[in-house]
Amino acid sequence: MGLQAKQNVGPGELRILEETRDDVLLRRAAKGDEDAFTLLYRRHQAALYRFALRMTGNAWASEEIVQDVFMTLMREPKKYDAERAALPAYLYGIARNRVMKHLERLPREVALDEHNENGSRGGPGVINAVTPMHWAVRQERLEQVRAAVLELPPEFREAVVLCELEELSYEEASQRIGCPIGTIRSRLHRGRALLLAKLEMLRDVPRRYSAAR
Amino acid sequence: MKCEEFEAVGLGLDRESAAHGLDPMEFAAAMEHADTCARCAALQESWQDARAELQALREVTQGAGAPLRVEMRLRQAFWAKRRALKIRSFALTGTWVLASATLLIVGMSWWNWRIAQENISLQSASTPLNAAEKKEAPTNTNSALVTVSEVAENIQHDTASDTTLVAANDAEDFTLLPGSLPQETGDAAVVRVRLQRGALGELGLPVNEERAGEWIQVDLFVGQDGQPQAVRLPR
Repeated sequence: MGLQAKQNVGPGELRILEETRDDVLLRRAAKGDEDAFTLLYRRHQAALYRFALRMTGNAWASEEIVQDVFMTLMREPKKYDAERAALPAYLYGIARNRVMKHLERLPREVALDEHNENGSRGGPGVINAVTPMHWAVRQERLEQVRAAVLELPPEFREAVVLCELEELSYEEASQRIGCPIGTIRSRLHRGRALLLAKLEMLRDVPRRYSAAR
Repeated sequence: MKCEEFEAVGLGLDRESAAHGLDPMEFAAAMEHADTCARCAALQESWQDARAELQALREVTQGAGAPLRVEMRLRQAFWAKRRALKIRSFALTGTWVLASATLLIVGMSWWNWRIAQENISLQSASTPLNAAEKKEAPTNTNSALVTVSEVAENIQHDTASDTTLVAANDAEDFTLLPGSLPQETGDAAVVRVRLQRGALGELGLPVNEERAGEWIQVDLFVGQDGQPQAVRLPR
């Protein structure tokens, strides 16, 4: 499949692909090419922002984290080694450090009342609601889920965010965090159990399973 | 499979088991256990609901991205950094150019000084030699040139006798120009020129003002540096 795709790509297209590779763009950006830097930013900012937002639950903090990540990339582009890892993984590493620092700095708090201007608090058009009442109930439930995720300890939260919200495989998540797959598996299991317990407690009518062990 | 074992894997049963490394046999055993154990079935059902809610949360935040102001701030910072880099590289280049020019000037000065020092040492070495040669052949009047030391002696002699006609000299002797040092005559040349007597004054020799307009023929003794060292009036 990949080979077929390669065969269908002409030499001109190959050159374009080569020119838009992350490491090539980064080299150009390091030499002062603003367009290359902008392209890199636009390519990766959304994923980093979502990760930061899901981890912190704070739009302002996420914005700062994304800015911080790209400022680091701008100031020290030579710190990135293309042979060691892909650029997204490198950027995630920086973002993760910033997120952890942010979480360490702040007291445990859940920004339930915080309005996210970037869609994390969806409007009527985002959720396919039948009635306003239904939409309001769904919104409230979403906020509860968000709060439950944010109440998880950072290491469990990270596993849940990566594997459940970002839908990464265990292997991808372990590469991103830089720990063994077994650690990810156990953190995820623990995180799921805690999350399930919290969600069950938040339900109007607590149901069958309500004990997080 | 027991309940404890089911709990260990049960929360991930709805995911792609193979992608998460769950053994198909283990998966089948867990499903079988869920069919027989109400508590574990409830656990799995609860997790299914929770996953649906997580999925909804995922969808809500799926389109989120950093606001445009972040890009603006970053581009501003990038521009400022590029400008600073340009200024720095310009300053660096300028510094290098200045340093190179300074080095070149110092080198050339040193080279000139060294050549001058060598000339001085050569002069001082040749002067005693010429004096010795003169002692050996004091009546060598046929030679076109005389040693500069001899010319210097002539000047001293003229000054001592208070002669007024300085431009004139006897025989084929040269008169050393004031300010000239006796030099080695190896690469020197004698040039015959026609000039007004007053021009001798510009060479530093005293000239009778009444005869300054007269045209005369003069032999100039030109040294290695191209400057006239001594002068004589041919008969």
